[in-house]
Amino acid sequence: MTVGDTPTSSFLRRTAATAGGNLALVAVVLGAGMIYGLGGSSARDDLVTDALINLVIVIGLQVFIGNTGVLSFGHLAFGSIAAYTCALLAVPATRKEVLLPNAPWGIQGVEINVVVATLAGVAAALVIGALLGLVMARTSGLAATMITLAFLFVVEAVAQNWIDLTNGAGSISSVPRLESRSWILLAVLVSIVVAAAFRHSPVGRFAQAGREDELAAGAMGIDLRVTRFAALVVSAGLVGLGGAMRSQSLGTVNPTQFSFELSVIVLAMLVVGGMRTISGAIVGTVLVTVGKDLFRWLGDGPGGLPTVEGMPDFFLAALLLAVLLTRPSGLLGDWDAGQLLARRLVRKAEPPSEPPEIRRPSGAERSSGSSESGAALVADGLGVTFGGFTAVDAVSLRVEPGEVRGLIGPNGAGKTTFVNLLTGMVPPSRGTASLGGRPLAGVPHAIARQGLARTFQNLRVFANLSVRENVAVSALSAARHRADRPPVDVDELLAVSGLADVADRPAATLDYGNQRRLEIARAAALRPDFLLLDEPTSGMSDTESEAMIGHVRTVAGLVGAGVLVIDHDLGFITSICDRITVLDQGEIIAEGTPAEVRADPAVIAAYLGSQAEGAEAAK
Amino acid sequence: MLAVEQLTTRYGSLTALHQASLRVDEGELITLVGPNGAGKTTLLTTIAGLLRPAEGRVTFDGRDVTGWDPARLVRSGLALVPERRRIFKDLTVAENLKLAGVTASAADRRERLARLPEVFPILRDRWTTAAGFLSGGEAQQLAVARALMSDPRLLLLDEPCLGLAPTMVDVVFDLLADLHRQGRTILVVEQQARRALAIADRAYVLRTGRIVAEGPASELAQRADLFEAYVGGSTVGGGA
Amino acid sequence: MTSFVQNLIDGLGNGSTYALMAVGVSLIFGVMHLVNFAHGELLTVAAYMTYFLQSRGVSWWIIVPVAIVVAMVTSMGVEAVAFRRIRGANPFTLLLTSFALEILSHACWKLFVGSERKQFAKPGWAFNTFQVGPFLFEVWDIAAIVTTIVCLAATAWILRNTLFGLAIRASAEDFDAARLMGVKANRVISGAFALAGVLAGIFAALSLMRTGLAEPRMGANPLLKAVLAAIIGGLGSLQGAVVGGLALGVAEVFVRGYVGDWFGSQAAGLTDGLVFALIALLFVVRPQGLFNVATAERV
Repeated sequence: MTVGDTPTSSFLRRTAATAGGNLALVAVVLGAGMIYGLGGSSARDDLVTDALINLVIVIGLQVFIGNTGVLSFGHLAFGSIAAYTCALLAVPATRKEVLLPNAPWGIQGVEINVVVATLAGVAAALVIGALLGLVMARTSGLAATMITLAFLFVVEAVAQNWIDLTNGAGSISSVPRLESRSWILLAVLVSIVVAAAFRHSPVGRFAQAGREDELAAGAMGIDLRVTRFAALVVSAGLVGLGGAMRSQSLGTVNPTQFSFELSVIVLAMLVVGGMRTISGAIVGTVLVTVGKDLFRWLGDGPGGLPTVEGMPDFFLAALLLAVLLTRPSGLLGDWDAGQLLARRLVRKAEPPSEPPEIRRPSGAERSSGSSESGAALVADGLGVTFGGFTAVDAVSLRVEPGEVRGLIGPNGAGKTTFVNLLTGMVPPSRGTASLGGRPLAGVPHAIARQGLARTFQNLRVFANLSVRENVAVSALSAARHRADRPPVDVDELLAVSGLADVADRPAATLDYGNQRRLEIARAAALRPDFLLLDEPTSGMSDTESEAMIGHVRTVAGLVGAGVLVIDHDLGFITSICDRITVLDQGEIIAEGTPAEVRADPAVIAAYLGSQAEGAEAAK
Repeated sequence: MLAVEQLTTRYGSLTALHQASLRVDEGELITLVGPNGAGKTTLLTTIAGLLRPAEGRVTFDGRDVTGWDPARLVRSGLALVPERRRIFKDLTVAENLKLAGVTASAADRRERLARLPEVFPILRDRWTTAAGFLSGGEAQQLAVARALMSDPRLLLLDEPCLGLAPTMVDVVFDLLADLHRQGRTILVVEQQARRALAIADRAYVLRTGRIVAEGPASELAQRADLFEAYVGGSTVGGGA
Repeated sequence: MTSFVQNLIDGLGNGSTYALMAVGVSLIFGVMHLVNFAHGELLTVAAYMTYFLQSRGVSWWIIVPVAIVVAMVTSMGVEAVAFRRIRGANPFTLLLTSFALEILSHACWKLFVGSERKQFAKPGWAFNTFQVGPFLFEVWDIAAIVTTIVCLAATAWILRNTLFGLAIRASAEDFDAARLMGVKANRVISGAFALAGVLAGIFAALSLMRTGLAEPRMGANPLLKAVLAAIIGGLGSLQGAVVGGLALGVAEVFVRGYVGDWFGSQAAGLTDGLVFALIALLFVVRPQGLFNVATAERV
């Protein structure tokens, strides 16, 4: 990090870049729209207004779907809630007496300024969003999507049927009209700035990590319930703002403005443009709005052509299908207009002028000196049985602070399951684990925050995030939850991992060995007491494995962490470890220094099978 | 019977198998040994058609079968007992076997369904039990029996002893030796190298995706550096 | 008490037709992890075919089998043309693709047939009523319940006893292992779509006799019910789909009854809202549905 670039100023710069770039994009599109609108009727002018309001809604949707990766069909319901709230507060009392003679809570008499009413509408959306967020906290994937769908129908049913309050299908008319488009432009500005700020805020970045990989995000100490809740509330507010704008633009509010069909259209806009960026939301909104209008015009039979229905829907479906079949990440993918400005506004870290000085502690130093006040990792009779199959029997082991411990054993011995038990990814059937005397129990993110960071046997990098962001998001988590440990410099970690040159590339584009090193760097950035490495040399050649020895030591030394490493490569394990524990059939069969373990006949038998038995079987 | 030439398989950016070549002749029992992560499973699943090789060729009975669908390979006489067995837990033992006879004629299927319980008596007792309730050893026997339903001329087995208690390991090795005596051609991947070498005709050692040793099983079993070749002790300078 | 039983019978009747569609949705999810939002369009296809034939005086005895075959062929065709291309894509993309197909279908009917409702004559006998004890039935009710029970039983029999059924169940559990047994991937997936199509066709025939209507968007609502029923039951579980369908049907009838009691008859539209609220609650309590289909992920 360059001098003076504090986390706050970095956040502000990035937000400014993203917001500025996207506002410029909107300005360009709007300019084109104005020219188009000038030439024609008020219908064209309405189209521009319509597109701008859609934009607010789609950007709101992007905040949730784009950052969390959870599909939502229900966000338009927040628009409905805000629009009705706004209308009920702002429609003149005299009109309400006619429209809603039986309205509850004396709402008939209320008549407030439409701007205040809009804010009240947004507030209502925020409150309902928070309630829905609490309900949805436990769910993910398809169940979460279906809850959003059910939510939409619930809100629609209430709007249709609570006739005393909403006038049902009959609309609440006489909503004060917007005097000029500047209010809508202000709403667009607000939505872009809020979306950009959320994107670069800590909770937004945590949400994106969760979008890329739920398990890995949990292992970095990220609580996805919090990120999803925050994203839902913020997006509810923005969609609510858009909904209130729509009712004011049309001068009326009724349930069809927020129907399932329209939900699908705004979702399609986001998917077409690319859900992961704000620019994607903008491009998708413009493309779909303009395209639908063009096809509507075609369908109306210009120049003597026959009139046909369904052209706009046909266009929408064909566009959506074409995008999904050819570019599932949307037209823009991860491109954002903010990137154009980011180069100017966000200072790049200068590459270290000389290689950072790296402490390479000797084995003795590691086990005694570097973290004498550190915490020992202890498992006491830890085991799990899956429906009759005992994967891990009852393993007890103690790893001293700063120690590098190897965990080896043949395929199926229970090594990975043991790490899953320690990190809370598999709930134990029996036994306990503790770190520095404090029990390790509960969900993975809580255990990660206590000081266990892990890598995965099957790589789980945050594929669509940059290499630097992979590590930085973990460091950000550490800054919150591991503040008592000395801070880790992200760029230094990248440098010692040999990743400095590729730091700005998406992690998915790295080759295999670099992805492995990235996972280790990401785990180390959490400032853990212990790094748990699951097969760091899997799939590597002997030369690469040899390089990995120095790498693991360097990284662990840099953050002062102990290491528990699983590997099948005995050469690697014996070179790197202070002590080795051997598992077979879910039980510890040997423990000791590398030399002791290598000479242990039980270990050789576990790996190769006993010769005597083999000879017997051959008879 | 089976010839694998210069086979390379990748998962995304990971090259799991580098130009591996091996050969299995009619009636042989070949074992492929090597540590965890060496690429043994990758090699077998590529041969069986579940993975597409990036380079190289697989010939079976003189025909180039590279990139064939597994369903077609089974019909031409090559069956794989996959790693971790992968029996269908929601199906009963009988249903597992019946489905595995999908490639056979109705008469053959009936005949084999009647005969297999004699070879695997344990299965007869659990005939209508959902396979998910079988013990590890029973499940492994079911997995082998299932592969035999297609009466393959070449049987591939991927770590048939994984997770089995020692007595069950004996049973599985006896079974392999029996099948071999009956003249079935077998290629078995095994971590328990010494036991596998004791019953095999020839063997290959796979390490970090490459074939690093091959030869008659008895010779390989005698090699002093087998353990090192196997788990990579010598190459990185041994002891700390 | 009488009204309770009458409600229960009505609910089970409705629910069993939901189950016909839900089983199809669940079957398809089982073999390719697709929540097929285009499944309801089979009803629309069958409806327009029925309109076309009925308005030309063709008898219902011919229309019904034709509708079923049309639904089956359409289902297989959509799989071959669209879903085969994206097999193995992430569930997000799969779901949205089926969604796009649903919109495309709506648009095409509007384009080529027009958005107005097409009405056709319903078979008169279907609405004859008869009394059993205190209960009043329409012939259609009984026909629908009996047909549905027969079809679900036949489906269960196929899945349990035929090689094709075993292949579908095995593929739903472990697709690659099924391929290693010699099961042909294209054939089993195509077969699942065919079976789902037949069930949708039967549902269509039953529901068209009752409504006598064809319109572009008619597939959306039954599809939604089917998807919800399948998810309530636990996607991929066939008993789950049946139970989910029945539960949804019964819940609707009873909620409608209580809504009427509590809010007055003009609030009947709140029924759907309450049912959806109940469903949302269920997903919160049991995100995996009533019947858990094990999906262990290897870390």
